[in-house]
This record gives sequence, C-alpha cells and structure tokens, in this order.
Amino acid sequence: MFVHIFANRLRCLLRDRETMFWTFMFPLALALFFYMSLSNVGKGEAFQEIDVAVVNDSWYQENQFFRTALEEASRGDDRLFNLTLATGEEARKLLDDGKIKGYIIAGDPPQLIVNESGIYQSIIKSFLDNYTQTFRAVEKVLENDPRIYQEVFDSLGNRKNYVKEAPAAGGKPDNLVYYFYTLIAMACMYGSFFGMREATDIQADITPLAARINIAPVHKLKAFLSSTCAALLIHLSEMMILLAFIRYVLNIDFGPRAGYVLLTTVIGSITGVFFGAFVSAVVKKSEGIKVGILIGVTMIGSCLAGMMYIDMKYIILSKNLPFLYWTNPVNLLSDAFYCLYYFDNLNRYALNIGALSCITVLFCALTYLFIRRRKYASL
Amino acid sequence: MQVYKLCLKIIKKNIPVMLIYIFIYLSVSIVVTLSSSRQNNTGNDFTDTKANIAFISGEETPLIEGLRKELGRQANFINLPDKKEAQQDALFFREVVYILRIPEGFTQKFMAGEEVHLEKNSVPDSAKAAYIDLAVDQYLNTARFFLSTMGDVTQESLVKYLDDVLSQEADVKLMPAPAKTDVYGLVFSYNYMAYSLSSILVLGMAAIMAAFNNRDLRNRVSCSPVRETAANLQIFLASLTFAGVAWLTQIAFCFFFDIENVLTMNTVYLLLNSLVFTVCGTAMGFLIGSVVKGNEAISAVTNVVVLGSCFICGVFVPAQLLGETTLRIASFTPTYWFVKANNQAAQLTQFDLSSVRLVLSDTAVIVCFALAFFALSLVIRKVRRFS
Repeated sequence: MFVHIFANRLRCLLRDRETMFWTFMFPLALALFFYMSLSNVGKGEAFQEIDVAVVNDSWYQENQFFRTALEEASRGDDRLFNLTLATGEEARKLLDDGKIKGYIIAGDPPQLIVNESGIYQSIIKSFLDNYTQTFRAVEKVLENDPRIYQEVFDSLGNRKNYVKEAPAAGGKPDNLVYYFYTLIAMACMYGSFFGMREATDIQADITPLAARINIAPVHKLKAFLSSTCAALLIHLSEMMILLAFIRYVLNIDFGPRAGYVLLTTVIGSITGVFFGAFVSAVVKKSEGIKVGILIGVTMIGSCLAGMMYIDMKYIILSKNLPFLYWTNPVNLLSDAFYCLYYFDNLNRYALNIGALSCITVLFCALTYLFIRRRKYASL
Repeated sequence: MQVYKLCLKIIKKNIPVMLIYIFIYLSVSIVVTLSSSRQNNTGNDFTDTKANIAFISGEETPLIEGLRKELGRQANFINLPDKKEAQQDALFFREVVYILRIPEGFTQKFMAGEEVHLEKNSVPDSAKAAYIDLAVDQYLNTARFFLSTMGDVTQESLVKYLDDVLSQEADVKLMPAPAKTDVYGLVFSYNYMAYSLSSILVLGMAAIMAAFNNRDLRNRVSCSPVRETAANLQIFLASLTFAGVAWLTQIAFCFFFDIENVLTMNTVYLLLNSLVFTVCGTAMGFLIGSVVKGNEAISAVTNVVVLGSCFICGVFVPAQLLGETTLRIASFTPTYWFVKANNQAAQLTQFDLSSVRLVLSDTAVIVCFALAFFALSLVIRKVRRFS
C-alpha cells in the first residue's frame, strides 16, 4: 500500500506545475539572477591601480627624489598608480572627465587635486604624506648629524613590509557567497508548499480529495507518511539540482565538507516540508491564506537572515535579536552553510543543526497532534 | 461602460496583491534613503577615508601606543570580543575590514633591530587593506629609519620624533565635481519603480487580459449589444485609467523620498521617463496577459520577468557594479534603458538639446519596446482568434 500511495502521489505532485515552479524553477532563476548581479560586486572592493596624473612642470623635472618615488610606485605588478604626465590644463580635463582620481602638483609640500573624497583619493594622499614625512625625517636626522648623509640614504632604501597576512583558518571572507546560502535556505523552506498540500489533502473537511482518502481503508497516518515521503523525495531532488547548479555551474564555494553540506540540505528540506504541513494543519482557512502565511514567514525569515541586506543578519539578528536568530529556520540553515564554508571547526555548525532539528521535530509533533484521530460527523 | 466597469472590478480585486509591491517599495526606499543620508556628509573639504579596523595588541608600549594614535587618522577602531570566531565573523560581515595583531614582545625585538612582523587578517586584495598597510609600514619604516640613523634612542624620544615627522601632510584641494557621482542614491526611488510599478502594471493588465481570454466571457461580450470596437475602446480606457492611477501613486512616493529635488529640471526628465516606462509596462502586461493562461502562471511569469530584469539592469545593484556581459544581456530589456535614462537625467547640469539628447534617445528606446510589445500582443490575439 505504501508503494501504491507513494507512486501515485509522486505522479500527482510532479503534475502540479505551479508548486514545481515555485519550489524548483524560481530558486534556480533567482540563483542565476544573484550570480549575474552580484558576481562583479566583489571587484568594487578590490584594489585596482589608481589612475593619477602629475603635472610635468619644472619643479617635477628638477626634483629627482619625488620623481623617483612616484615612478617607483607606478612600476611593476603590485604598483599603486597608473601614472600620466600632463600639463596643468590636461590634468584638470582628465579629472573632469573622470579618467583619473586626482592629479599631483609637485612642490613642498606636494599638492593633490581631487574632486571627491574617497578611498583611492585617500591612498594618493597617504602616498604624498609618506613622501613628505620621509623627507622631513631625513632633514631631522641630518640636522642632528650632517656627516651621516650616505648612511641616511642607504637606510631609506631599506623599506620593508611589516605586516603579514595570518594563515586563514577557513574560507575567504567573501560575503557574496552568503547570499547564495540564504537562497538555498529559502528554497528549503519553499518545500513547505509540498507539506501544505500533503496536510491539506489528508483533512477531509478541507478538500474533497481528502474526504475520498479518508474513507479509503488505509490508516490516515500511513497515507500521510507515504505521500509526505513522495513530497520529500521530489523536494530533495530539486534541492540537489539547485545545489549542483550553484556549486558547479555558478561556481560558488561551499568549503571542503561536501557531506555536511548535503546533510544540511536534507535537514533543511525536511524542515521546509513539515513547516508547510504544520501551517496547513493549524490554520483552518483557505489555501490562499495558507500560501500567504508560508510565503510571508519564509520571506521575513529570509530577509532577517540577510538575503536582501547582509547587515540585517549580522547587526540586527545576531547582536540584537538572539531569540529570532535561534528560531528562524532560514537563518539557522544559511548560518550552517556559512559555518561549513568559513570556519575550520564544527561547533557553531552543530549548534545550528541542533536548533534546526529541534524546530523540525516540533513541527512534526504538532502536525501529528493536529491531524491524528480527527473524525467528521458530517462533511 | 459595462466593460470599463468590469475591468476596474478586476483591478480592485487584485489591489491586495499590488499593495505588497507598494509595501516592498516603501520599505526598501526608507532603508536606502536612511543609509544614503548617513553617507552624504562630506561637505566642501577633503576628508580622509577611515577604514574600520580591529587593533589587537599583546602589549602596551609607547611605540605601540604611537602606532595606534597614528592609525587613528586612517582608521576607526572597532572593539571586538577576544574570540577568534567573533573576529572572523566581523571580517566576513565587514564590521571591520582589517584585524591587526601585535604579538607580545614585538617592541623589544623591534627596538633591538630584529626581524619582526605584525599579523593581519584582512579582506584580501581590498583597497582599504592596502590603505592601512601603507600607514602601518610608514610608521614602522620611519621608526626603523630613526633607530638606524640616530644611534641610541629611547622609546619615548623615538615616539616624539615620529609624532613630529608624521604630522606632516600633503596639501589637498577639493575641486567641485562636474557631475553628481552618487547617482544610485540620487535616483534610487525612481529606478526602484522599475520593480514595483512594473509588477503592479503587469499583474493588473494581465489579470484583465486573462479574464477576457476566457472563452465564455468573450462569447458573452460578442453576443451583447455592445460593439466590439466599443468594448475594445472601453478596455483601452480602463487600462489607461489603471496605468495613470498606478503612475501617479508611484510618483507621489518618489516625490516624498526625493522632496528636495522635486522642483528641478532633472525631475521633469525623470517624470517623462517614468511616464514612458509606465506605457511600456502596460504594453508588457498586455503581452503577458495575451500569452499566458491562468492567474498562477501570470504571477510566476511576472515574478521572473520583472525580478530578473531588475536584478540585471541596475535596479537592485548599481549598474556600475554589474559585469559587461550582464549589461549586454540587460540591454534587451526596457528596464535597462529606463535605469540608464534615469541615471543620465539625474546627472544633467545643462539642459540644452545636446545635453538632453542622450536621455531622450534612451527614452525613445523604451517607446520602441512599448510599440513592439503592443504590436506583438495584437498579432498573438489575432492569430488566436482565427485559430
């Protein structure tokens, strides 16, 4: 009997094009849109050589130290600047046309002309500050003892990099991956559409189909479990395709622990399906209202988990709303993926999965309590 | 005017769904307006950018205190809990972009001329990390320079020298920018219309069309005393009323969020763009309603088409941050031209024909899209009628 209900339910659900769209095609499309719009955003943060001009006047030509410093900073693969020599007017035009971030007029102190404040303008200023400061340091030392001229210039050539990147314990701090994790978490919760159908189609006072199933000589729980297994199988298959698409087509990193990623998805899928079943069992209203509740809760959960604005999770949820942090399944799921990607230990991951499992068990138990032994005097 | 009234009834039935989009528009606009008002405080003087960093020191010495003080010009210090996980979290979510760790015994080794290093965790290859690196290296290289050239120097006098030398600054002159550069914040309320207004228009138009696609209803209208031309005219009028009301509502919200620029010439061009885009959105709704059957399918198609175009055209993410390929694909949608025209209209400082030509040419492309959608839907309806 299990196989019979399971197989027929499978066919039934696969023919439900609307649910298939929202649980499968929509997350796939959203992942693609995320990728197309976000894949370049990280580059905005990355350092790019700064386009800068210097006014090629007699001061610049005669001041060999300044010229050398600027040329050194504009040479090699790890250079700071892409340097252009220009007249004052040309430099101004380049700045107005947005082709350079600023231009330098050599002098004592050197002058920087910019048309906005920003990180690149600040880096150019830092470079000029450094030059001025070094020059002042040399003056100070030579004032003290003019005989050590050669020593001073030897010492100037020994500039070092004093800061070293500490070895990373996990993944790179590339926060764009997090948006995809929230998307997978949201897609897991969209499994609730399947769960809602299963719980609706077992309550005889809601649909005629459920009334038909209720008079069949099959235990209600058995019928519910068989059809829920079919729903879970479909949703899990959809989630695996979504994971594969995000990992292998869009090339989003999930860290080295693939097994745990799959486990998280499976638990997420079960949570989603039973969340839908729970809402459907508790809310005795029309299907439209149930769908509204499911979408509303999932979208608010996704928003709080940082799907639309990442600070929402970190600043608002993590620091100020710990209760919502631990009771929001979308947050727990996306945080679990994040832990697998970013941390080398599994402590926080285990906490997330523990909390998620508790929520899932609660959904299962409440659904069972609401739909068990329900008899109808008249339909 | 029975047909006209029926159309309005259909629209009224869909108002709760449309309100969701207005609610989303309002929430996002409030968040963006608040965050952009926080950022626009530069004034007429150049201000050094400050990066958020965590400064974790294993020792407290005059040299390290001097470094902290010097870095204060380039950095805001953020206190983080003394837990590795919390620090990693702060870096991932950009509460800080740089974590600088000074190991215990650093000063002693540095003063003795030994090879020593500081440790950092930073957003790899980021401009802000390069900025802080530059400042730290300058401080320690200058200190090393004094140590190697001035013989016996105590830590206190070294810090004094550094204080004196590192207070030197280059002269920075801030020229007025020829164009407004923060376009995204400036026209966000207009650009975001591409999501809310499009969704509302497509949903409403598609709902009307879907109702009239119903075979029984079509037959009922055909056998009624109302002539087909009159019925079509009434549908057209109802669509016009619906689109007009939707546009006015949306514009009222835009004015509210951009109140200080309402009386500028830029707003006139932004209004023109939005009006043309409204016509295009209506035509798109007409097309979707002619092609797609069923309310569920309409909602699915609306979500994918409108959401997708907003993602790739610079509505949700500023266009300058999108990849070249993405923008090339986006140029096949009217939303791309709408956003482009808005961005250009917001930057206008002169309003002669040569300056506004770029805006108007983008607006013309939106008109072409509207005509194409409308023509295509007419062809589809004609073919269906004869099939």
